[in-house]
Amino acid sequence: MPTMRGDAMRGLAVFISDIRNCKSREAELRRINKELTNIRQRFRADKTLDGYQKKKYVCKLLFIFLLGHDIDFGYMEAVNLLSSNKYTEKQIGYLFISVIMNSSTEMKQLIIQNIRNDLQSRNPIFINLALQCVANIGDREMAIAFTNDIPRLLISGDTLDAVKQSAALCLLRLHRTSPDSLQLNTEWTARIIHLLNDQHLGVATAAVSLIDALVKRSPDEYKGCINLAVSRLSRIVTSSYTDFQDYTYYFVPAPWLCVKLLRLLQNYPPPDDPSIRSRLNECLDTILNKAQEPLKSKKVQHSNARNAVLFEAINLIIHMDCESSLLVRACNQLGQFLQNRETNLRYLALESMCLLATSEFSHEAVKKHQETVINALKSERDVSVRQRAVDLLYAMCDRSNAQDIVQEMLTYLETADYTIREEMVLKIAILSEKYAIDYKWYLDIMLKLIRIAGDFVSEEVWYRVIQVVVNRNDVQSYAAKIAFEALQAPACHENMVKVAGYILGEYGNLIALDPRSTPMIQFDLLHSKYHLCSPTTRCLLLSTYMKFVNLFPEIKHHIQDILRHDSNYRSSDVEIQQRAIEYLKLSEICNPTVLATVLEIMPPYPEKQSPLLVRLKQKKPLIESENVNEPSSPSTTTAAHTEDGPKLAETAMHLNHHQQQQQQNGLLVSLDIPESNGHYEESTSNSFASLTKSSTSTVQSNKKFLFKNSDIIFENELIQIGIKGELMKSSMHIELYYGNKTNFNLINFSTNFFLSGDLESELRMNMEPIKTTIDSRAQIKQSGTIDCLKDFYDLPKMNITFYYNNIPQKIDYSFPLYLNKYLEKADMDSNNFFLRWRNLEKPNQECQKIFPAKFPMIYDDCRQKLEGFGWSSLTGIDVNSENFCGAGIIHTVSQQIGCLYRLEPNKQANMYRLTIRASKDGVAKRFAELLEDQF
Amino acid sequence: MIGGVFIYNHKGEVLISRVYRDDIGRNAVDAFRVNVIHARQQSRFPVVNIARTSFFYTKRSNIWLCAVAKQNINAAMVFEFLGKMIDIMQSYFGKISEENIKNNFVLIYELLDEILDFGYPQNSDTGVLKSFITQQGVRPITREEQTNVTSAVTGQIGWRREGIKYRRNELFLDVIESVNLLMSQQGQVLSTHVAGRVVMKSYLSGMPECKFGINDKITVDNRTKNPLDSTNINNNSTTNGSTNPSTTTTKTAIAIDDCQFHQCVKLSKFESEHSISFIPPDGEFELMRYRTTKDISLPFRVIPLVREIGRTKMEVKVVVKSNFKPTLIGQKIEIRIPTPSNTCDVQLLCMKGKAKYKSSDNAIVWKMKRMGGMKESQLSAEIELLPNDKKKWNRPPISMNFEVPFAPSGFKVRYLKVFEHKLNYSDSDTVKWVRYIGKSGLYETRS
Repeated sequence: MPTMRGDAMRGLAVFISDIRNCKSREAELRRINKELTNIRQRFRADKTLDGYQKKKYVCKLLFIFLLGHDIDFGYMEAVNLLSSNKYTEKQIGYLFISVIMNSSTEMKQLIIQNIRNDLQSRNPIFINLALQCVANIGDREMAIAFTNDIPRLLISGDTLDAVKQSAALCLLRLHRTSPDSLQLNTEWTARIIHLLNDQHLGVATAAVSLIDALVKRSPDEYKGCINLAVSRLSRIVTSSYTDFQDYTYYFVPAPWLCVKLLRLLQNYPPPDDPSIRSRLNECLDTILNKAQEPLKSKKVQHSNARNAVLFEAINLIIHMDCESSLLVRACNQLGQFLQNRETNLRYLALESMCLLATSEFSHEAVKKHQETVINALKSERDVSVRQRAVDLLYAMCDRSNAQDIVQEMLTYLETADYTIREEMVLKIAILSEKYAIDYKWYLDIMLKLIRIAGDFVSEEVWYRVIQVVVNRNDVQSYAAKIAFEALQAPACHENMVKVAGYILGEYGNLIALDPRSTPMIQFDLLHSKYHLCSPTTRCLLLSTYMKFVNLFPEIKHHIQDILRHDSNYRSSDVEIQQRAIEYLKLSEICNPTVLATVLEIMPPYPEKQSPLLVRLKQKKPLIESENVNEPSSPSTTTAAHTEDGPKLAETAMHLNHHQQQQQQNGLLVSLDIPESNGHYEESTSNSFASLTKSSTSTVQSNKKFLFKNSDIIFENELIQIGIKGELMKSSMHIELYYGNKTNFNLINFSTNFFLSGDLESELRMNMEPIKTTIDSRAQIKQSGTIDCLKDFYDLPKMNITFYYNNIPQKIDYSFPLYLNKYLEKADMDSNNFFLRWRNLEKPNQECQKIFPAKFPMIYDDCRQKLEGFGWSSLTGIDVNSENFCGAGIIHTVSQQIGCLYRLEPNKQANMYRLTIRASKDGVAKRFAELLEDQF
Repeated sequence: MIGGVFIYNHKGEVLISRVYRDDIGRNAVDAFRVNVIHARQQSRFPVVNIARTSFFYTKRSNIWLCAVAKQNINAAMVFEFLGKMIDIMQSYFGKISEENIKNNFVLIYELLDEILDFGYPQNSDTGVLKSFITQQGVRPITREEQTNVTSAVTGQIGWRREGIKYRRNELFLDVIESVNLLMSQQGQVLSTHVAGRVVMKSYLSGMPECKFGINDKITVDNRTKNPLDSTNINNNSTTNGSTNPSTTTTKTAIAIDDCQFHQCVKLSKFESEHSISFIPPDGEFELMRYRTTKDISLPFRVIPLVREIGRTKMEVKVVVKSNFKPTLIGQKIEIRIPTPSNTCDVQLLCMKGKAKYKSSDNAIVWKMKRMGGMKESQLSAEIELLPNDKKKWNRPPISMNFEVPFAPSGFKVRYLKVFEHKLNYSDSDTVKWVRYIGKSGLYETRS
């Protein structure tokens, strides 16, 4: 029959053209319904269909499915097609299954069986079809089912190259979708690595991708690939012959393979073996040389391929960061690209240069291109390229060129794209502070910045200006002068009003003698802006006025008038109203000396890490992360302080200063640590505990952080967390150190602490936000305070999430903060001790435990532990010198709890008896529980 | 206020675009196309708000009609306007279709200029519009005609011009009702109502005044209480409270839930005397619209019987009974029985009419040309299914279409009187035709 011949499938063509001709959605639906009924009729159990018909109907179903309609039948027919021997029928079957297949389990077993049959068949085309299908479905079950078959195909000697290629890619896909369910036998490692040496370039290319993914999972296991990769690379790059079968792309030999190999090498540090290393350097050198050669073709593909290899090589050079000659050459090469006509090239060049600028070897070389980069900033048409230019300028800035660069950036800011303005403002602010030689210059720049950028100046920027001014006596009068001048401009941004208001309030007296800026003029000038400002600024200005009352008593009545004015005294804004009323009363009641004390000049701010850097990192977590390791600035050190985040400039008054500061801090924290009711598992703390190495200190304990004030509280193969604590009465300052143990950056890093149940009322945690990225092998710090409100018994929960190699990781465990951390040792003589001991006789106050020794009974160890636990170890009190006695006080916010203990070792029985008495119920019991398995 | 009116074809191409206000930009046209016509999910709302702009739309055959407004506008007014616009276009060039719209686009723009002014709806009466927007092209308008137009637009009776003369004074009255019903399997009426329209076609000379009487409960009550004819302008109706004793109602009176009149009806008279009097426009118009929910005589009853036999077979038996006077005949009867989505084959057997399985609609359609009153007919079907355990069939209701020559609500025209004082033709000289048509609305029985 002519209609049955070939694979024309006329019915399908007719159906599709019918659908295409449908005028409306309804018409289409009608046609589809009709067709579905027809197919159902054909597929009815009692009818037999030949392969061609099945294929045709399955095809129609597929088409209907792709139009967006549900298909709930025909699976069986599709699966039947899989066992057909005709290529087209098999192909359609696989197509249907990979497109429509979802979790229908009983079908899945059947499909897996069919795929397995095909994988074991002799026909390479069938094997490839099966591999394609596995990769397309690529779910967990597939990964489990074929965890052995596919690698076997990959490494066996008699599979065809095309099949190997598919197998490698299929494996890669399974590895990406469900890495944990794919278990690769370690015996195969060497053979997989050896695929890099495969004669067929296609197989090698596919294998590099796979190996790259596997390396990211277990770098050590695949270390052997460095050697092979380098030799393969050198064979391609340095060999004189150009016959690479079909893999020469517009005169560039195997560009894809080269790029992938170079990327693979970026997973490891520079090779240790000098011969390999020199070979690699030779390759890189050759690549850089080739870039200098004239183009072999005018076609854009040729230059693209060549540049792709070149850029990847430069990335590798930057990654290795050890060959200064290569780095400088790379930099020069990029310099040439900066003037290239091709926008993409310029972008890439700037991007790579950013990285180069952070390397000590090439920093100087990068600086040579400053002129060009600035030009790019001015003349470039593409926004993204300009943005890169800004990044590069920021990265290449140092003391020698800071003035120029800041000036250029300021000029550019006026015309900059709105989207990058805020970031630029931050960068300018940071650079000008970091490299300021003269703080007058810094102030000039900042005020100019606030004037130009206005809305794009984030809070942190002007907080920082205030901090700098407050902390440096020498610039205060200058600051007051220029702030006053800046305020005289007819249109003045609100941020400028805030800065000027604050500075004049503090240091207005320094310029009051100048007839151009008498107190009255200052005040009038400030007040002329008052009505244009938002409530927060008004609050700040009210504080300034109050400061004026102190500085210039002669204008006191003017200010009182203003405070008394209805718009303030009866303002609808509670904050303004409160300030107005309080300040008015203060000015009326207090005598000048009291006023002078209350309205004293602000003390210098404690030095700490600039909030600007924190802000910049929040904005751009991936870029500029290198800067963390540099000392941040001459005026700021990284000395820790309990609260980060700027002190609020508005809280100029000492009166409500403290409270507001805490509010502000709470705000900052809550921004970065979102409230979440994460589910945590109690058990994880135990399971992880088994992973951790025992610490080398003589004091051994299975409870972390119990006896020591610094400890490693968590460790696995990715990350290590250390803690350092310092007690100040009822508040503990802690520092957590998160160390990245891997070769990759951990991104989207975030930590959360949960106080569950009673703990909420017993503890108050205040943790600083942290950076979201930890660079490879680097560590970041998070500090914070934990206040003890009441005695507590549970442990806070901690939850850490991050992406390692794009795989989300989550760690839940109990944060080992025990009550004894708030225990302060107390010294007393024996009379005193026994007096107190006898006072605490009630049954709830005492707890006694008798337990066998777990460690050797050494006097000094015990003593060290008891002291580490927090209480004193008093000698000469107990008659038996082997016994330990001591005391301590638990500081909580609400009360102080006294505790006494007595530990009596019995060396013959290898037992201890521990008696603890405490002035509060339950505390003694808790301590006894904590200590009972520690000796 | 309506900011603009757009007309699209089914592909979303703009056929007509008329913007009345500056707040509607060009992009509004595209916004509607992208978000409604080409939306992945079919939009189910008649009003869509995109970027603070409201789009009110209806679809007629393949044509989308959309009014746009930036302000907070009375939505009911907009839809009334859109409906009117469709009526006008239909009366000018018949069926609304892409081709008709393309062929008449000058006319449509002209109409749009006339019926909306700066977004405020103006006179949209077809008769009036036709007097100055014609399809004959430009012709010089005489002074007389001009004054006619002006007086029609500005005068008190905007819907009728003066000086109409007919040799034969004739009028046609159609009472068209559509019955809506939802009935349970057991034959219990779950909800029912009748939406009726009285459409009048008048060919009367001069400025005749008409009085129209119906068997509405209130008017009937009024008359029985007041032995004088209701046309007699009597004044005591205002004192008539609502405390009418129900004993006086006659059987034939019906309770109208709500009704709506053409603008020509003098509402003040209706309110005070419950009489419907009006000066009709020339030609066809809808005199009143009403709705009743009580005492509806259902013309047909559908009795379904569905039996599932195993997973692959189903038996459906449907009996239809006509429930009206044997002398009357129902027409265009069509019963639509939905079938499950996994149907593969259907065998049908019916005593009367023709039955067919329409796979494109997933339904069995049973048609009978006519059926007398008090008759019964039966259809049985055997449906073969493809086993499928994923979705349970939710048994949509069986729906029915028909036409019967009586008003199922019991609505009756009692009289229609015509008075023309100036031209001196009396009520008895006019020829009057009254016709009742009962149609099916959504007439469904659960199976």
